[in-house]
Amino acid sequence: MKCLLGMTGLDVHSKGIRNLARLLREAGHEVVYVGEHNSPRSIVRAALEEDAKVIGVSFSSAGYLEHVRALMQAIHDEHATDIPVMVGGLIPDGDDVDKLRTLGVSAVFGPRSNLEDVTAFLDSLTTTRPESL
Amino acid sequence: MNRPDDAQHLTSPTGPESRLRSVSLSRTRTWGGLDTQDVYTPDDATIVDYGRNLGDPGVYPYTRGSYPEMYRKRMWTLRHIVGYGTPEDTRAGIEEALASGTTGIDVVLDNLSQEAIDPDHPLFLNDVGLEGCSIACVADLERLLQGIDLTQVDIAWHSALLIHAMVAALALRHGLPLRELQGSHMPDHVGLGLAGWGQKLLPADLAHRASVDCLEYVSQNFPRWTCGFPQAYNLRERGLTPAGEIAVGLALVQQTLEDLADRGIAADDVAPRLAWVSTADIDLFEEVAKYRALRRMWSRTMKERFEARDPRSMRLRISCHTSGRSLTHAQPMNNVVRATVETLAAILGGVQAVETCAYDEPVTIPTPQARELAIRTQQVLAHEAGVARTADPLGGSFYVESLTNDIESRSQQMLQEIEAIGFLKAVESGWIDELMDRNEHAFHAEVRSGERVIVGVNVFETADDETPPRFNFDRTGLEQRTRQFEVWKAARERDGLRTSLARIHREARQGANPYEAMVDAFTRDATIGEVWGVFRTALGYPYDPFGVLESPLETGVA
Repeated sequence: MKCLLGMTGLDVHSKGIRNLARLLREAGHEVVYVGEHNSPRSIVRAALEEDAKVIGVSFSSAGYLEHVRALMQAIHDEHATDIPVMVGGLIPDGDDVDKLRTLGVSAVFGPRSNLEDVTAFLDSLTTTRPESL
Repeated sequence: MNRPDDAQHLTSPTGPESRLRSVSLSRTRTWGGLDTQDVYTPDDATIVDYGRNLGDPGVYPYTRGSYPEMYRKRMWTLRHIVGYGTPEDTRAGIEEALASGTTGIDVVLDNLSQEAIDPDHPLFLNDVGLEGCSIACVADLERLLQGIDLTQVDIAWHSALLIHAMVAALALRHGLPLRELQGSHMPDHVGLGLAGWGQKLLPADLAHRASVDCLEYVSQNFPRWTCGFPQAYNLRERGLTPAGEIAVGLALVQQTLEDLADRGIAADDVAPRLAWVSTADIDLFEEVAKYRALRRMWSRTMKERFEARDPRSMRLRISCHTSGRSLTHAQPMNNVVRATVETLAAILGGVQAVETCAYDEPVTIPTPQARELAIRTQQVLAHEAGVARTADPLGGSFYVESLTNDIESRSQQMLQEIEAIGFLKAVESGWIDELMDRNEHAFHAEVRSGERVIVGVNVFETADDETPPRFNFDRTGLEQRTRQFEVWKAARERDGLRTSLARIHREARQGANPYEAMVDAFTRDATIGEVWGVFRTALGYPYDPFGVLESPLETGVA
């Protein structure tokens, strides 16, 4: 599956998502990593241009709810609501996971998640999406 | 995701738990990947020539320490990080830290300030003051530092972009002599670019230019100021090994000194102002050996390659912050133990300043309780453990001397590889990125396979460990901050400001050093976003890396 990974906002902690990019490539996925410091709109447009089937963003800083809200708004504005979003990083279990889901995020991966959780999510997209279209 | 603490949870019968019984030897290579033997003897240690390769502490090549009596004469500086919210919020934190026994204050700025973005940038209104103090102009510094004498108090600024220029402008405004100004900052812009700032914020040529400009100006005007350069800490966090830390750091320093030499600045003009910003990860002996090898390689580089004569150029000062990446989200109290071992490594390695991580850092910016425990950790080591009373206590150990030699030769080999490519080319081409990504990937592969054991993460897990509380503070001040900033900005005197911003642009474009013009602009109430943005445009980059704002020189706003 073609995944577009990147960072939005000011966060510089890209070590995790860079490593995820490698791991997903090893697992047979096609990954476009667009780097750090993207605006919400630029990351969505990149996903559309690349025809990515999923967008993944990662946050270490505490402001992720607002940044995800802005990303989901950009997805709406760019008519890209059929591209699911996964969010990872320093996201504690609990309320925030529910809030992210309410914003429209399809999957949340926190400090306790592992690669298999991510690949299982991606696999679920390939099996369920044709039916939902 | 995929930090050390979210590695695979190995619960299968073939996982390491099946062979790991409580305590056992799970690894014979160092954490950085060097092979070790079961024992070292005089045959391995190769203390070939004590005077040439080791020397007493305080004597070239400074392997055993930078000062003759080390901690008997002067203890390491116990440093602690403060910084959140508005300047007023952080000032309160400074007072608390001083009261609890910190001897050095480190001020960390929020992400906007560190990336030279003003607090009224429309994309980041919710990030202001989030994980550091919001500082965007000299007026902010005045509120943070009111009543603090900058010629007496040593504040370490955890930031690269323009913070020193703002402090200099503050001093000028208040009639303080620049030559008396104390403090430090970390103007390693290239290192930041590699550590995650990335090409959009810090393209290598712009980053390198900013560092050379800054170091030239500091070396000429601020004899009591220290520059944390290279900032190797972030690169270790991102994925360099201890040997790689030395190689990449020295490659940067060599490139920078060569470019300064082209401007007529000799090593002896600038090297005494530098301090190496380092880390201590969990491998005690490897980190001690790294500090020793680093001092030796530094002194030889300065003396032999750059013809330094001043002992202060050759004896390296090292500032250590213990490793954030070694701390785990799982079983967070284990981090107290990790930070203790790492602090011990820094002391046995003879560093000049130590910040001990708070155990709750994987979860939150440190709570006051966790911060106090980190300070107490250093105090127990200083007063009870007796580890500081004799210089280089591990010197002469067959093992540590061998490991020092091993790290040195591995570093030299990597340094030669980088030099063959050319340092800036190695940065721009992604060669160093790739090196760090590869290390990081290998690290996680070892954690996944159980070859590398992290207690509480891939073995000895507990199902429901408690998450420490998150740091919280009253955010009402921040809500007002952006509005006040906008009002203040609109009321500034425009003409002088515009002239000084135009001067930055002109000098930067002509290849002159615009640093003094930057300081001048800050005295005229320029903001950090304006000064940096104008510098960016002079070098051909967009004013706002996020593509929203335009230069005040274009719009006529300033």
